[in-house]
Amino acid sequence: MLSLLLLIPLVGALALALWPGNPSPGRMRTVALVVLGLQLIWSLLVLLRFDTGISGMQLQESFVWVGSIGLDYRLGVDGLSMPLVLINCALTLVSAICTRDINQRPRIYFALLLVISGAVNGAFLAENLLLFFLFYELELIPLWFLISIWGGANRAYAATKFLIFTAVSGMLILGAFLGLALLTGGVDFSLTPVTSERLAMGGQLVLLGALLVGFGIKVPLFPFHNWLPDAHTQASTPVSVLLAGVLLKLGTYGLLRFCMGLFPEAWALLAPGLAIWAAVSVLFGSLAAIAQQDMKRMVAYSSVGHMGYILLAAAAATPVALLGAVFQMVSHGLISALLFLLVGIVYRKTGTRDLSVLHGLLNPERGLPFTGTLMILGVMASAGMPGMAGFISEFMVFRGSITAFPLATLLSMVGSGLTAVYFLLLVNRAFFGRLAVTPATDAVEDGRLDVRLAAVAPRETIPAMGLAFAVVAIGLLPSGLGKLSEAASTSMAQLPALVAAMQLAALHPWGVG
Amino acid sequence: MFLLGALSSVADAIGSGAGTGGLNLQLNAGAIAPEAAVLIALLTCLLVDLAGEKAASRWVPPICYAGLGSALVLLALQWNTPDLQPAFVGSFLADNLAIAFRAVVAASTLISLLLSWRYVEQSGTPVGEYAGILLAATLGAMFLCGATDLVTIFVSLETLSVSSYLLAGYMKRDARSSEAALKYLLVGSAAAAVFLYGASLLYGLTGGATGLDAVALALRTSASPVTALALVFVLATVAFKIAAVPFHQWTPDVYEGSPTPVVAFLSVGSKAAGFALALRILVGCFESFDAQWKLLFTVLAVLSMVLGNVVALAQTSMKRMLAYSSIGQAGFVMIGLVCGTEDGFAAMVLYMAAYLFMNLGAFACIILFSLRTGSDRIADYAGLYQKDPLITLGLSLCLLSLGGIPPMLGFFGKIYLFFAGWADHQYLLVVVGLVTSVVSIYYYISVIKMMVVKEPQEASDVVKAYPAINWSVAGLPALRTALVGCVIVTAVGGILSNPLFTWASQAVTGTPMLVQAIG
Repeated sequence: MLSLLLLIPLVGALALALWPGNPSPGRMRTVALVVLGLQLIWSLLVLLRFDTGISGMQLQESFVWVGSIGLDYRLGVDGLSMPLVLINCALTLVSAICTRDINQRPRIYFALLLVISGAVNGAFLAENLLLFFLFYELELIPLWFLISIWGGANRAYAATKFLIFTAVSGMLILGAFLGLALLTGGVDFSLTPVTSERLAMGGQLVLLGALLVGFGIKVPLFPFHNWLPDAHTQASTPVSVLLAGVLLKLGTYGLLRFCMGLFPEAWALLAPGLAIWAAVSVLFGSLAAIAQQDMKRMVAYSSVGHMGYILLAAAAATPVALLGAVFQMVSHGLISALLFLLVGIVYRKTGTRDLSVLHGLLNPERGLPFTGTLMILGVMASAGMPGMAGFISEFMVFRGSITAFPLATLLSMVGSGLTAVYFLLLVNRAFFGRLAVTPATDAVEDGRLDVRLAAVAPRETIPAMGLAFAVVAIGLLPSGLGKLSEAASTSMAQLPALVAAMQLAALHPWGVG
Repeated sequence: MFLLGALSSVADAIGSGAGTGGLNLQLNAGAIAPEAAVLIALLTCLLVDLAGEKAASRWVPPICYAGLGSALVLLALQWNTPDLQPAFVGSFLADNLAIAFRAVVAASTLISLLLSWRYVEQSGTPVGEYAGILLAATLGAMFLCGATDLVTIFVSLETLSVSSYLLAGYMKRDARSSEAALKYLLVGSAAAAVFLYGASLLYGLTGGATGLDAVALALRTSASPVTALALVFVLATVAFKIAAVPFHQWTPDVYEGSPTPVVAFLSVGSKAAGFALALRILVGCFESFDAQWKLLFTVLAVLSMVLGNVVALAQTSMKRMLAYSSIGQAGFVMIGLVCGTEDGFAAMVLYMAAYLFMNLGAFACIILFSLRTGSDRIADYAGLYQKDPLITLGLSLCLLSLGGIPPMLGFFGKIYLFFAGWADHQYLLVVVGLVTSVVSIYYYISVIKMMVVKEPQEASDVVKAYPAINWSVAGLPALRTALVGCVIVTAVGGILSNPLFTWASQAVTGTPMLVQAIG
């Protein structure tokens, strides 16, 4: 059942690559849409079969792939991976839908998109460390292609930076996985938590450190975030949607599943420090976002900040916080995808993303009123307004963490407040006021005041509307998603060793941090 | 009458060896049946060559295919011989390790020959001679893989080397080719002399025996400084053959100057023979100096991985880039050698087999490109995807595989090496391997970027003037077969690699010497 989530996109990619003749870009896009649609439908069928009462892996499939190195093809889904698989299927479809202007090499473009989607599904579903690594690396080269072929002017630099950072992250993760499987004696790449009887604490800390840096690059957390703003600015809108919505989740998924899940004791020991790291990352992301002039860079830095909440929640590791982390992954996926889509529309209509150039886009006659409305909704959701997905997730993260790490949580709350600051700046500068597309330094006062922007066709905003609807729906009815993940996140928080170690850590002087 | 008797006794010896009675040493000539097939093909090639250029280009290729093909079949039949007996009075042993490496050598020759026809034709040199020399090199390399006697080792080593010098200088009219041959000859002769000196020391230590068994026995009891000297000499020769840093200096120049199909053979077949020699001598004989040679090889491996991969970054010529990359790749394989565990040896065998396909696939692409454009510069590949999708796809997949990107064959090979290294606590090697892998991804991907990412308007002049694709020229269909075959194995072999892993592990368990070393 789960294998089809990999097979559908990968076979689709192969079919696209081998499609006979020289079909038009539109035909290619239709094929990709059909394949992604099937994938989404199939993921919904999986959701129907999913039993929310079970906390462990379900719908498992396995066979031995390469026995000598312990690589088993073993898939399973639980409350942590189910929402992420759904997000992946939905957002890949969205990014295929909003790809309208790909005229060069559509065949490779859509095939790579499908490969990424299948690989990400594989990474979320893998129950074997090597299998996860295989899928984690598999997504690297296609994404590099997507940035470096269909990106902006400076795409070569951004793509190479992305490639090097991610390759380093992959090597760190592989090293840690090999260490984990072999240092504990025997060959075991399964997801069994390691205990201090099997591996001394020093070894655990080294391996956990490597994993933390590896996934920290992917998430990204300060100070490993350097590649993200460049990659986002240079990537085209659909690729940005995919990158922010789906691929960053591989990092946070890795933090929860592999860092916390495999090293509960070492994790508990490091938790206070991780909480501080999370707060620093949140504050840095938010402050850096305030300083940005480019809308896309601003949204990218806001991702750095918002991903910090997940580390905070994981450090606290209470049931509520972990549920909040899952919510935050889902809502960040939806909200950042929504914001990137809207920035993309603005860019297409005005030719710039510069906040010092854009003014008053909300103008009902000649501006982009509907896009502006959705943008206001998006930034409100991102800033954590009640009634939308962002609020639920941030509230749960803070509620779950404040007892464990009051200081770090308070600092993160400040970061959350700063989100409102920079997004208000964005909306205020670009959307409110009198319509103008003119640089502030332009000598000719009001040089391009008399602009009339091309109307946004309804089909351009349909994907954004769908996302906005999902953001509001999760905000108003969070219980659906909650029920899906509750059993898994509760059981993760109750890893016996983790609980015991947390009690121990409470006595530790760092615990008050 | 006497002749008949002698014949019958030889037949007896060939047949079972039981007739020789007390000595219990036997001819067991069946062990070298694959080499015999290659030898027959070689002789036939030379004979056909006498019949004139036209007959040669008509008949030489099928003769070579038949010879190498039947060699591969015979090797497959030898696999897992239940009752393993040494051949030729203990100077050759057809254990699974020998069979695996001989198969790699024979396959690399077969593929190199498929790549050669058009290249040789275009350069206007005689085909029969070329094939004859390449088959002679193959013969030497195959004997080297199974040789268990110092004299046999030296003779096969020299057969391989001398033929390689000839091949490197085969493009007589090209100054660079002559330069490559001269350099190779000088450095190679020095290495051979060093080996001979080391072998003579070993000969002295055993008190007059040349068999590796006797050497191993003598070394177990002796700890004199002479032994260390012999170890260093032997090790230097091995390092020269596998082009480990700092014995690599000949590689880039020889690779750049030699005919490209020859480089393809040198980078795979000759290297595989070198690794087989390393296993035979170091693991088989210098067991009591385990710590010393492993330390030396650790240093060599680290240097090879770092230098090979870092210097490859700066190359502008495709062949030089692949030369440095092959130094780095040899460094990865050395991880398995240093481990000395079952997984380590199996990973070596597996990686050599994977390397055979991915490296020769890459060479097939660059040979095809240089046949069509006459260029070897990386910058000239810019924008190639538009003009030649086959080369672009094939080269991209092979380079990604060399860089260890899943789901290619190279990924599985590399994972297995790192896995074995980590299991044997070779942390330094594995960490260096991981870091240099990232570096290697960078320069492999730069080539792919050239070919795929560059827009048509950024294409190089060479690509802009790219000739129309025409497969009907003599020799090109063979090249295409080799290219497509290698690329398919590289791309799909990883996903279906379980039999390959079993094969590699059998290569180790079916080798008494390695089983003893693991013991």
